[in-house]
Amino acid sequence: MSENNATVPFSSNSIRLSVGQWIIAGIVCLAFLYLIPALWEQSEQFSPGPDFRMPYELSNDYWLYRRYCRWADSQHEIFVTGDSVIWGHFVSRNNTLSGQLNKITEHDMFANLGLDGIHPAAMEGLLHYYGKNISNKNVILHFNPLWMSSPKQDLQGDKEFIFNHPKLVSQFTPKIPCYKAPFSARISTVLRRYIVLPNLITHIKITYFQSMDIPTWTIEHPYENPLKAVTFNLPEVAKDEIQGTRDERRQTRDEGRRDDSYQWVIPKTSFQWSCFQRTIQLLQKRGNRVFVLVGPFNEHILNGASLEAYQNLKDDIELRLATNNIDYYAPPALPAELYVDASHPTSEGYALLAQQLFANESFKTSILNPGRD
Amino acid sequence: MLFQSWPFVIFLLIVYPIYLVLKRTRFGIFWLLAASYFFYGWINPLYPILIIYVTTIDYFTVARMEKSSHRKMWLIVSVVNNVGLLGFFKYAGFITDNLNALLMSLKIPYEIAPPGFLLPVGISFYIFQSMSYTIDFYRGNITREKSFIKYAAFVSFFPRLLMGPIERAKNFLPQLHKVPDVSWSDIADGLSLFIVGLFKKIALADFLKLYVVRVYDNPEQFQSPSLILATFLFAWQIYFDFSGYTDMARGVARMMGFRLRLNFNNPYLATGLSDFWHRWHISLSSWFRDYVYIPLGGNRRGTFNTYRNIFLTMIISGLWHAGLFSGATLTFVIWGVVHTFGLFLTREMERTEFYKKKVPKLVKQLFVFCFVGFAWIFFRADSINDAWLIIKRIFTSGFSNPYCPVLALVLIFAVWFYQFMYESRIKRLLELKLVRITIVVLMIFYLAVFAPSSEQAFIYMRF
Repeated sequence: MSENNATVPFSSNSIRLSVGQWIIAGIVCLAFLYLIPALWEQSEQFSPGPDFRMPYELSNDYWLYRRYCRWADSQHEIFVTGDSVIWGHFVSRNNTLSGQLNKITEHDMFANLGLDGIHPAAMEGLLHYYGKNISNKNVILHFNPLWMSSPKQDLQGDKEFIFNHPKLVSQFTPKIPCYKAPFSARISTVLRRYIVLPNLITHIKITYFQSMDIPTWTIEHPYENPLKAVTFNLPEVAKDEIQGTRDERRQTRDEGRRDDSYQWVIPKTSFQWSCFQRTIQLLQKRGNRVFVLVGPFNEHILNGASLEAYQNLKDDIELRLATNNIDYYAPPALPAELYVDASHPTSEGYALLAQQLFANESFKTSILNPGRD
Repeated sequence: MLFQSWPFVIFLLIVYPIYLVLKRTRFGIFWLLAASYFFYGWINPLYPILIIYVTTIDYFTVARMEKSSHRKMWLIVSVVNNVGLLGFFKYAGFITDNLNALLMSLKIPYEIAPPGFLLPVGISFYIFQSMSYTIDFYRGNITREKSFIKYAAFVSFFPRLLMGPIERAKNFLPQLHKVPDVSWSDIADGLSLFIVGLFKKIALADFLKLYVVRVYDNPEQFQSPSLILATFLFAWQIYFDFSGYTDMARGVARMMGFRLRLNFNNPYLATGLSDFWHRWHISLSSWFRDYVYIPLGGNRRGTFNTYRNIFLTMIISGLWHAGLFSGATLTFVIWGVVHTFGLFLTREMERTEFYKKKVPKLVKQLFVFCFVGFAWIFFRADSINDAWLIIKRIFTSGFSNPYCPVLALVLIFAVWFYQFMYESRIKRLLELKLVRITIVVLMIFYLAVFAPSSEQAFIYMRF
């Protein structure tokens, strides 16, 4: 006769809930799941000033990005989104493209929704899952050709490549060969896109615990109370530092520097371009009027063969945008001294670009047109 | 696959509903077996071959034992096969390392090549489980299991496959024979066990590991307070890690209608070393008692033989823990020796009326914990040299700020206090509905907020 059923103790503790008690616990947990994010937003101060942009240290904080989109929806008429070129690496926030556009209009019309380091494959995920508030707006969507400058940047390599914002890209299909995250991590990433609380937890970790897990943070701060670290004040909102150093700028602006290491990927086979196209469609499906700004890439660093390939690429992109009736502007390269590196302009460069945009007929009719429905 | 991973969740979401449907049919046992082999094969596709081999040999040796007059010969076949397999996988590297060390010390310029294979996860557990069947049959304690499929399911039952508990055939095979009832209570109980196990593993064990690793990986850089605290934290880490797994295993089994034995019973509340071994890894210590200690004579042949039998049993236990590709293989043997001498020294003392009635319970518990904690140094240290260095530095290196997270100590104290209350007269407070529900909600909340983001393997998976 088995001794097991009758005599085996249940456990060495009293934590045993009945079905009804589990239901109560489940309801309480679900309530927390929905209430905590809402209560958190009430408690945590978020008052972006003029020309606000996502703090650099919080570039992976998609919960905050979603919150910012929601705020910007009520404050701005036109959104400008893209990678670090829009975000404004190397310049202060009032000298970014959106900042310069606001200077021209003398009105805080343009919102900087750029995110440093975001490439088209990740941008698609960002706007899909965290940018739902970008709807029924005019959107300037920037395309940086740098993401097609090699098969590696285009995410086509087989060898593992650690790229930016991996949690935003497709986890299963379409498959990205160079993305080698384990199955478990991918499932976790997919689930987090649909449940708010884990994103809030990530926001808390990034904002208040230097992107560390709280247990790891306590190893670094053994005598501090983790609850006290949560001040409900976003630490970097007021402070806005220029990213990139003066030395970096000087190096990349050397006269006569030519680079022939670019292996441009054509749009027909480009993964990043296909993601960008889907992003346009996604925005349009949400009722947005989309205006694409292409580059301008620093052609002054390219040599003969690479320059020709880039110009063909740019022509191809323009043709595809035109064929799909997408309003766009592909400005000519800025003067060499107005670039910091391959794609980032200086403050003066952004100012010139803003003026060029305002002079562009397509931009005026599609984005500045006050009579849009 | 780890219990606390998404692949396991998906696995269970597929296996469990189909199991509930099939369990009343003859396909139920096949589904259970297939799921178990899939679970094991997920780690390495070759592993199921190994477990099928062990299962087949033991099934057929018992079948031969039943018909043959040379029962002992078939028992020896089974034992030699199982121990040989364990020895081959577990000790080939251990033996090679130590032979090479011996050759080096004798200045012989020859090196034996290392075996170059890894210890299959869980092999120590299911081999012991299978061996218990053959030995119990030989002793006449059980009847032969006629169904190979049921026997295979007994050996490979996936919730307990990787780290136990080591079930006995007489307890588990009858459960496989009858259609398991799975009531809503079973599901509720299973969830209760699982959530406690998950909390122990993720919130506690994986947290404590961060500090333990920092200190034990570089003990020469730390002073006495850090080394003491790291040892203290490790004692709790290994308890949470191992008992956490067991709780999750029991929880999953419970949700399927199976009852697995309790494997940890608040071991740090033990009031003596013997008591400790009745509370820690109960399925393994009882296995050694029934299949090593008692066959050697137990305590029936005088004091000297009793101590000899204790010594041999603990050494074998230490050897069981000594694994392949572990730099600390000998340290586990020393760990066993330390416990042996501890048992020697305390066995008589624990029987005295003075100890039983005069020494306060808390003092006894503290003494046992300190001893067990000391022994854990050998279990955790990366080498014998590191173990001795840690012990030496604990007593000689002076004081410096240990920088041990206060939160870790608070959590340990909270758990200890809970256990203390559980075994006291005020246990009833813990059984209040509100208290139980609150604790579960807090555990879930803590897991959601504080859990580290990466999955950590279990300590005992390497045995």
